[in-house]
Amino acid sequence: MTAFVIRRLLQAMVVLFVTSVIVFTGVYAIGDPLEILLPADATMAERAQVARSLGLDQPLIVQYGRFLMNALSGNLGTSFVYNRPSISIILDRLPATLELAFSALVLAIIIGIPLGLWSGLRRGSAVDETIMTGSILGFSLPNFWQGMMLIMIFSVYLGWLPSTGRGQTGTILGIETSFATWDGIRHLILPAINLSLAKISLVIRLTRTGVQETMPLDFIKFARARGLSSRRIVTVHVLKNILIPIITVIGVEFGSLIAFAVVTETIFSWPGVGKLIIDSIKVLDRPVVVAYILVVVTMFITINLIVDILYSILDPRIRSKAP
Amino acid sequence: MTIMKKWGTAAIAAALLSSTAFTAMAADVVIGRANEPSAIDPQFSRTGNNQMTADNMFETLLRTDENLQMHPHLATEWQNLDPLTWEISIRKDVTFHDGSPFTVDDVIYSLERTDEVPNSPAPFTDMVSSVDKLEKIDDHKFRLITKAPNPALMEQIGRVFMVSKKATENATLEDFNSGKAAIGTGPYKFVEWRPAESLKLTAYDNYWGKKPDFENVEFRFIANDAARTAALLSGSVDIIDSVSPSDVPRLESSGNLKVFPVESGRLVYLALNMRDDTAPGVVDASGKLIEPNPFRDAKVRKAISKMIDRQLLVDRVLNGAGVPSAQIVPSVLGGYVEDLQPEPANPAEAKALLAEAGFPEGFGITIYSSNDRFPGDGDIAQALGQLLARGGLKVNGVQTQPYNVYSAAATKGEYGAYIFSLGSSTPNAEANLRSLLQTYSKEAGTGGFNRMRYSNADFDAALNEAIEEFDQEKRMEKLQAATRIAMEDQAIVPLYFQKIYWAAREGIDFTPNLSERTVASDVRIAK
Repeated sequence: MTAFVIRRLLQAMVVLFVTSVIVFTGVYAIGDPLEILLPADATMAERAQVARSLGLDQPLIVQYGRFLMNALSGNLGTSFVYNRPSISIILDRLPATLELAFSALVLAIIIGIPLGLWSGLRRGSAVDETIMTGSILGFSLPNFWQGMMLIMIFSVYLGWLPSTGRGQTGTILGIETSFATWDGIRHLILPAINLSLAKISLVIRLTRTGVQETMPLDFIKFARARGLSSRRIVTVHVLKNILIPIITVIGVEFGSLIAFAVVTETIFSWPGVGKLIIDSIKVLDRPVVVAYILVVVTMFITINLIVDILYSILDPRIRSKAP
Repeated sequence: MTIMKKWGTAAIAAALLSSTAFTAMAADVVIGRANEPSAIDPQFSRTGNNQMTADNMFETLLRTDENLQMHPHLATEWQNLDPLTWEISIRKDVTFHDGSPFTVDDVIYSLERTDEVPNSPAPFTDMVSSVDKLEKIDDHKFRLITKAPNPALMEQIGRVFMVSKKATENATLEDFNSGKAAIGTGPYKFVEWRPAESLKLTAYDNYWGKKPDFENVEFRFIANDAARTAALLSGSVDIIDSVSPSDVPRLESSGNLKVFPVESGRLVYLALNMRDDTAPGVVDASGKLIEPNPFRDAKVRKAISKMIDRQLLVDRVLNGAGVPSAQIVPSVLGGYVEDLQPEPANPAEAKALLAEAGFPEGFGITIYSSNDRFPGDGDIAQALGQLLARGGLKVNGVQTQPYNVYSAAATKGEYGAYIFSLGSSTPNAEANLRSLLQTYSKEAGTGGFNRMRYSNADFDAALNEAIEEFDQEKRMEKLQAATRIAMEDQAIVPLYFQKIYWAAREGIDFTPNLSERTVASDVRIAK
């Protein structure tokens, strides 16, 4: 087991190194940050001064070498734009994104599973048809347009909910979060719904299919024969069996929620990392782009590692297969 | 009963009165801004985003008005003892937000700090590059000695933000961002900055100048155009900037909103690359690059200018959000030439000019443009392609790219005919003529943004004469003369000045400005 973890950690180091090379050269190839950072009337002396202070006057290989040396000591570079360590800028913004992705995930579960169960049990009924049509919409509406519509309806016409920013935040257990205040929650509702609609649809469909596959199985028939109430059959026997694939998919989707938060964060001016990365790409703030991608890669590696460890604990076959 | 009724009426009247009084004194305003600052230190970056943020809390020696003209502000008067020596007096009644008085020590400290801010991505270095020595005379007067005669000195140092020596010495960038060192002399004090979200300010009670109308100000940073408009419509912000031209008709017709347009100093132009013996994308019928480079011939450049119907571009592509132009700066700036007006398109004359230049059948051309830099940049390129095709050129393609990729390639000279924009931030044409049209020379440091490498000795000489002229009026005349030479030569093909818009709810007034700045003290209660 220990050998397995150590091997995976070494692999992770290689992945991180390769990613850093690819991202660094990729970002380097896009364009010249000086073109964007400097005002149009900047003189050549100013240009040279900035190039020197940001290290942009060095060849790519030297810039990468410097980056690597710093990275090994835990410093992923200083943002050109903000002149702050890029990792601390990212960590400042990350809670807002995680909070949004988490809310969307919770919505997907508490709305998606009951609706999926309902439509799966009433197959072919008007309720089923309505829910399925709704889920097609949830899948196919462009996130961007959908966000604008939510703003138009709930902020502009009805005036119920705010459409921009994170609102008042408070601290719960030392973490700054919107959940702490009513104003914060009001600000969270629209972006969270926008981000979750596609996931709700996904969960509905997974649940519905699961229900349809499970209902005809023998153990359900036996449960019926034992005289259990249909309520108990659904909530205990059916749900337990269909939950496994749903949880697996949701776990994977959490990563994509963070990635897709970019669009939602832009429309709702949510101060998360998605917006930061888009802005940084636009102004070619290389250190922030590179650091962000490394942070995300680390996150995914960690999730995968945890999943693999859990699997090998739960399933001896995987352990024995791994050489 | 009657008494009750009377009391009731009185109560309603009182309520009405108090509510009107409340509106009139509406203490707070929320401003929706498209861009955001990268730091609070006013000397950290010279970009518009940072400067318009600093303008709320910090002040400069000279004040820039809505037409980019500069007036005495913290500096009250100045005179030249000789071409190198300046004596400058500052206001005596100015205090910093921490209560300490503003003195010459702060001025000297600020000017010296200007080019020493570590890792600044856009330093103010050039503003103080001509300064040789600074000498204090007394608390409100100092002497400045320049390295060479510099008539534009006050315009340059007049743009440097004044910081408090006491609060800034040993302060880090973080100290500014947290507000600890954000001690200025301006009408507003720093309260809180939340990056990507908001900046909160409150009025400074002991401000020496005109008090602003609003006590508390919150800037909200809303980058997306549609979301910003929606925020105004929903009432969550009171005023927004950078209104998308396509939203303007709708906002104007809504009745309870007001739109504030201004013809900005941002020129959109077509550059014709004269750098090499061939121009990328300029080919003959067989697809081979034409040598010598046709753009080196002024007749070809003029012919292209004559093919373009600028009014049509502005009306159809931009919904009217532009003002056709035939020169570098807008009419309110010094150095503007009254009689240089855009001519209507004339394809026949263009053809004749092309024939004269040796291209009776025209030639092949590709047009390049950014597609996310300013409203309509990609569409303008498409429309230009059609106009040039009508004028007798064979348009082989229109290529647009995101600005972060586009700008670097343009600087490297990878485009033949390409669209670019240039904003104005100074009171006259000098800065833009220098960076855009002066002969490029790395050694001399001239022509930094002369990407097409236009070079004309007559123009350079005329511009240098203007730069060295101390008499303000003569200097403007000389700038006009230089502009005339360059435009006679069609150094660039000017297209239009962008119109930009702010929009506010009823009851809010705003002074739109050429420099595209959104500053809290310009937002007032409508009278």
